[in-house]
Amino acid sequence: MNDFLLWACVLGPVLLAEGLLARYEVLAYSAGFRAPTTELPEGMPYARGAAADAPPAAYLVYLDGIGKRRVRDTRDGGQLVKAVLAGAPELRVLGQVQPYSPLADPLADRPVWAWLRRHIGLLLFLHNVMQIFVAADHRYRPLYNRAVGSQIATQLRLAGYRPGSGVPVVLLSYSGGAQVATGAVGELHARLRCPLVVITLGGFHNGANDLSRVEQLHRLTSAYDRIERVGTWMFPQRWPLFRGSGWNRARRAGKVTVHRLDPATHLGPRSYISRDRTLPDGRSLLDRTTDTVISLIRARQDAPAATDRPVP
Amino acid sequence: MSLVIVLLLFAGLSEAAGRILPLLARRPGMPRNLVVGLLIGAGLVEAAVFTLWPLTAWTLAELPVSSPPAGEALEWTPGLAAPLLLCAVLAFPLLGPLLHLVLFVAVGAGLAGPLAAATDLGWWGAAGCVAVAGVGLGLAVEAVRRLVVRLSTPRTPEPIS
Repeated sequence: MNDFLLWACVLGPVLLAEGLLARYEVLAYSAGFRAPTTELPEGMPYARGAAADAPPAAYLVYLDGIGKRRVRDTRDGGQLVKAVLAGAPELRVLGQVQPYSPLADPLADRPVWAWLRRHIGLLLFLHNVMQIFVAADHRYRPLYNRAVGSQIATQLRLAGYRPGSGVPVVLLSYSGGAQVATGAVGELHARLRCPLVVITLGGFHNGANDLSRVEQLHRLTSAYDRIERVGTWMFPQRWPLFRGSGWNRARRAGKVTVHRLDPATHLGPRSYISRDRTLPDGRSLLDRTTDTVISLIRARQDAPAATDRPVP
Repeated sequence: MSLVIVLLLFAGLSEAAGRILPLLARRPGMPRNLVVGLLIGAGLVEAAVFTLWPLTAWTLAELPVSSPPAGEALEWTPGLAAPLLLCAVLAFPLLGPLLHLVLFVAVGAGLAGPLAAATDLGWWGAAGCVAVAGVGLGLAVEAVRRLVVRLSTPRTPEPIS
């Protein structure tokens, strides 16, 4: 079978079917066919790190890239979470949020998808890419944002977060997780009335979401990150021309800070989360990313007076 | 002929589904009976509009000439109508409206060939007639959609002071 026939007869219809089915979950959520899952597997804690008996310095919610398909951390994302936990024991860290499932239903646990994972694992990545597109589509976005924002708020409360306590919530997002993190801000603020900081690592998002409730958005990027750059090209709301977009309004308000992590790439052995490549100062790329994330959170802790004002 | 009718009916349903699914996402909790009713009603309207497309293009092609073209009138064939079954791509996330437009451009280009062969307009002239007919019908049905939405939206009663 030549390439054209393969695309026309197999991959094309599969892509089309997946694209049309991708909205099913958000529709099932909106219609109330199914309630979102809130329970975690037996023995899995709602948060790791600082003990729940006293307020931690901050709650950190990690929103993974498109590889996320189960409640447990992915291999790469797990390394980052572990490193953050080791470097900042004062944080309570949540890694169980399902950014690509409005029903908080891990893809790997669904019967058909479990079979697909064993035979055509690529489809699971494709499904999560489609979910990013659903989250970015103006017709579905409000509902998707509400669903995932509500999921994060629920997990935070189960992890011990008290609404109105003033403890900051940090949304650390990798790649497509940035679309979900920026979208969840409104719902999260409405439910928890919490100070919010967003950190995007190679963030792929459409820039349409309202960021007025965010204290600060730290954009960790690299000149070698092609996938993030594609996002800045393909979404008009990321272009400076669209001055009214959520992203451009946040930039004008001074809420977006860029941190360069050159020469890291988005994926592969030189990625932001790679522990194989070292920098001239002897740290691995993972160490540097971890240090940057922790220092940004601690810098916020050291200068709370300017940012602890209640958001109007 | 009956196959064409079936195809156009399903194409109308497909178009209606592509328009109603995003609506469901924005209006959670719509009763299932209402959704099914909307789907069938809108599907029939969309199928009627599809049916009128070649006829309207043919009428437009007749306007510049004094005598009717000698060829057979432009009609749907199963091959020309079949791609319309994919109209539901409109509901596709993010790329849906673009894919929908590409689909209609492709189907319109398919209609322009037989129209050009049956008239003296040439391919570009025929394509212009098909495009004008398609845009005109599209605007007309959009006006009907907006009217239905306006009429079906419950009016908020004035507050009693």
